[in-house]
Amino acid sequence: MELALDLSPPESKHYRSWNERLRYVARYSQPEEIHVACEMARAVGVTSVMAVLDRRTEAALREFQIWRDLSVWAVVPNMYAFIRDLTDRGLVGAALARFLRLRPVAMVATGMNALRELGPLARSDFSAGALWLAQMELAAAQRLRIRRVFLHPQLTEIALAGRVAGLFTEFARRARALGLEAGLVTHNPVVAAEVLGADLENFAAIAAPCNSKGYKMLPDRAACESLFRSNPTRFWALDVAAAESLTLEAGLAHVREVGLTGVVLDVRTVMGRFPRPYPR
Amino acid sequence: MADSRPLRCAVIGAGRMGMVHGHLLQVYPGTELVGFVDPQSGAHERLASQGLRAPVLAEVPELLAAAQPEAVFICTPTHTHLAVARECLVRPVHLFMEKPVATSVADADAILALAREHRVMHAAGYVYAHLPIVEEAHRLLAEGVLGEILRFSAHAYISEVFGPKSGWFFQRELSGGGVVANMGSHVLFILGWMFGRIRRVMATTRSHASAVEDSAHALLWFDGGVTGMLDTSWSMPGAQMLDYGITIDGRQGTLVLGREQILLHLLRPMGDHPEGWSEIHASDLPADTAFDISPHIGGEAFYRQLRVFETACRTGRLPFCSLDEAANTQRMIEGIYASAASGQPVEVA
Repeated sequence: MELALDLSPPESKHYRSWNERLRYVARYSQPEEIHVACEMARAVGVTSVMAVLDRRTEAALREFQIWRDLSVWAVVPNMYAFIRDLTDRGLVGAALARFLRLRPVAMVATGMNALRELGPLARSDFSAGALWLAQMELAAAQRLRIRRVFLHPQLTEIALAGRVAGLFTEFARRARALGLEAGLVTHNPVVAAEVLGADLENFAAIAAPCNSKGYKMLPDRAACESLFRSNPTRFWALDVAAAESLTLEAGLAHVREVGLTGVVLDVRTVMGRFPRPYPR
Repeated sequence: MADSRPLRCAVIGAGRMGMVHGHLLQVYPGTELVGFVDPQSGAHERLASQGLRAPVLAEVPELLAAAQPEAVFICTPTHTHLAVARECLVRPVHLFMEKPVATSVADADAILALAREHRVMHAAGYVYAHLPIVEEAHRLLAEGVLGEILRFSAHAYISEVFGPKSGWFFQRELSGGGVVANMGSHVLFILGWMFGRIRRVMATTRSHASAVEDSAHALLWFDGGVTGMLDTSWSMPGAQMLDYGITIDGRQGTLVLGREQILLHLLRPMGDHPEGWSEIHASDLPADTAFDISPHIGGEAFYRQLRVFETACRTGRLPFCSLDEAANTQRMIEGIYASAASGQPVEVA
């Protein structure tokens, strides 16, 4: 079974208490703690890290890749950061701030693309905007060794609700053009399969909740598991511990029973494998 | 209304929340999205690019004539809610109002009076009340698992405001206030739903970054005798989405409500619940959602909220999240601002 570590920002997760939240957020704001998490994950068999590319995580992963062979799965664009910038600076200001962070070569490449898409971008076209943001973030992260690129779930669910199949097709095409594999993270895998149809094959990995409690498995556990069994190498199990209410072992056993061959693990699930007190 | 046709719904205001409701109305099997109202040129193309396929009209009267909705979702800036509700209710359309429902108690009461006068169903968009774990906590309290409820402490924190901000959301006269009206109100609504009508408030607020209040402490007294404190801030680092918690003490024990679990401590066994500590995890509650529009913010609560409203429209029975309950929340909000301004406790009833 292939394992990946979910390194989405600790600020974006739910915790049992405010204190627990602060403890995790403070810990994973330190690059060396991200390195420790990656080492622990490697010790349980993790070979890839799925991460939203904020500056902190990107820098830590770049350092880690100097001495370890760990493949990065980038989740783009960072929608939380973008929405906050949108409120503070407006659409143009938020996009411009990302553009100005690029190195000159990347600026030219993404700028040319933006010019080609000027009409749709000026009309606030959903797909054009999403793809341009994704492209800028990937361009900014060129020094990372990225193997797969995932569309951010906040965009994915909106696009699935609106059945905007074109966004997925174009996202996968652009990923291929960059020599990357495309992926999706979704809580609505059954709808994703309907919307994507044959295009599902263009996504190397689709991560969706899979656990023995059926937690967050929509529309229901039976429909999800039937889909997973029909394509067991394409779907990756997320939330195998059902929000930390199951052990990792129980979670993995269930995934094996369903037949999936890939699992994305939460940092806390990995930490649960190591004896306490954790030396900090 | 035993009609099985999808309920014809329209969305007024095509901003972030209007977009979320529009998508859900298309996805949910019991509703049909028949139109949007948004005055901005280009709104049609913008919405169509997201797969929102309903016609976009510039004005409410045009919408009512062209799309003939049975229900409207009002997602315009808060200060416009009363005027928009008035425009909509030239015909009997059911009202779903995004939170906060108004910028004042007077407006909230006026909206409620209009809805009653026109005998339509109504609901407010305090979405967190629809999380299964929150509904379970409410059920336990209503069942009397804690015995007489005495007191509570609550928090509502998010990382949003760390410097000057612009836009209508940060202008009190347009948005109704700052963190209390726009974030803390989610928890105020849940407290009102659990403990009943508010009677007295004492509060302090501070503006340390934006032009509205960025944090507040509020002591709340409810009619039934429950008292407690809410601490809220949108300038707390570490929380990309609303982090809330409520600890409730009763004569028989304590209930701690979090986002994914309830911790229960009972002094003696109560029904199926043992003496001492036990936990109810969200993953143990029945699943009843077909689509999650926003897994990290609101999650399945958006879908459940829509179902509650649609059921109310079909059955003619007011939902728990009606504008009556929202008016109680509005009294808490206004009481907090009045008390903070005067430095004195404020009688709210």
